[in-house]
Amino acid sequence: MTDRVLPAPERASPMMALIAVQSLCAAFFLADVASDGLEIGWPPFTHWHFMIEFAAALSLIAAVAVEIRWLMALLRRKAHLERQLSLASGAFHDIVAAQFRGWGLTPSEEDVAMFTLKGLSIPEIAELRGSAEGTVKSHLNGIYRKAGVNGRGAFLSLFIEELMTTAPGSAPDRA
Amino acid sequence: MTRHYIWDPLLRLFHWSLAGFFIANALLTDPESQLHETIGYAIAALLVIRLIWGVVGPHSARFSSFLPSRSGIRGQLTDMATGRRRVHLMHTPLGALMIFNLLLTLAAIVTTGYMMTTNAFWGVDWVEETHEALVTWAEISVFLHVGAVVFESLRTGVNLPRAMVTGTKSVPEGAKIEP
Repeated sequence: MTDRVLPAPERASPMMALIAVQSLCAAFFLADVASDGLEIGWPPFTHWHFMIEFAAALSLIAAVAVEIRWLMALLRRKAHLERQLSLASGAFHDIVAAQFRGWGLTPSEEDVAMFTLKGLSIPEIAELRGSAEGTVKSHLNGIYRKAGVNGRGAFLSLFIEELMTTAPGSAPDRA
Repeated sequence: MTRHYIWDPLLRLFHWSLAGFFIANALLTDPESQLHETIGYAIAALLVIRLIWGVVGPHSARFSSFLPSRSGIRGQLTDMATGRRRVHLMHTPLGALMIFNLLLTLAAIVTTGYMMTTNAFWGVDWVEETHEALVTWAEISVFLHVGAVVFESLRTGVNLPRAMVTGTKSVPEGAKIEP
């Protein structure tokens, strides 16, 4: 259902498949490089061919790591857009997510903050996230501290202010 | 803290003997030795037992109860991305993928290993190379499997290695339970 409102590049499944395939390739190249390295003997750094292969394998692994980060961000976004079918909610979500990133919230804190914005109580959030209420409270404390506010009311008003000053359609670019 | 009995004794025995035999043959025994072959046959027997148990065994051991689905995998990844704690009483979707991967890889290792003992394939290069490549793949998989078990235990608060010893999962208070 949620797939319908998201642009095509934001689908999670092709990304998951891509990550799986590239991980396999990375494992293969790394094993190949390792066996070459054993054959050459120590130190292998003077063999330019080996070093190029080694660098290529490392960059592939780095690319996979970046893709995993993207996938996680995408899944967080999708998790919060569930059941919201308007583009406006997507734009609002982007403003909120950019703000959360700016504060340096952890993924768990982002999740709790999003539920708080939606007006859920602490017990409800604990139930949804499968954690103890104490855990949610400590997440909330972290959120308020990072946002520089002293409680739920002040936290909510930050976003109401944002909504009033941000013209519709001027959402930040989706990274 | 709620306790759920999940893994039957045969499944646990299968798991730990398979782990032991695999370590023995991958790292310890001389590949040319009789012992290596004997352990190989023991692994083959274990796989056959698991195959039968996966069809006629209790619910948590049946393959049909943990076929990984795309939505299940996505759900588990979303839980990781958002820090939500949903506990799967049986295999998690990603865990199930790993189980099928390990079972198939081991079956292929046993097959190529047996082929090397036959007259038709004795000394044939591609059989030996495939056997070795598959063992490397299995070692990588086992490494990932153990890493994932530790990661998931920390993430969900359920001690998974202990559950594979005692058969019982202890789920912390508040965690949401998925079948």
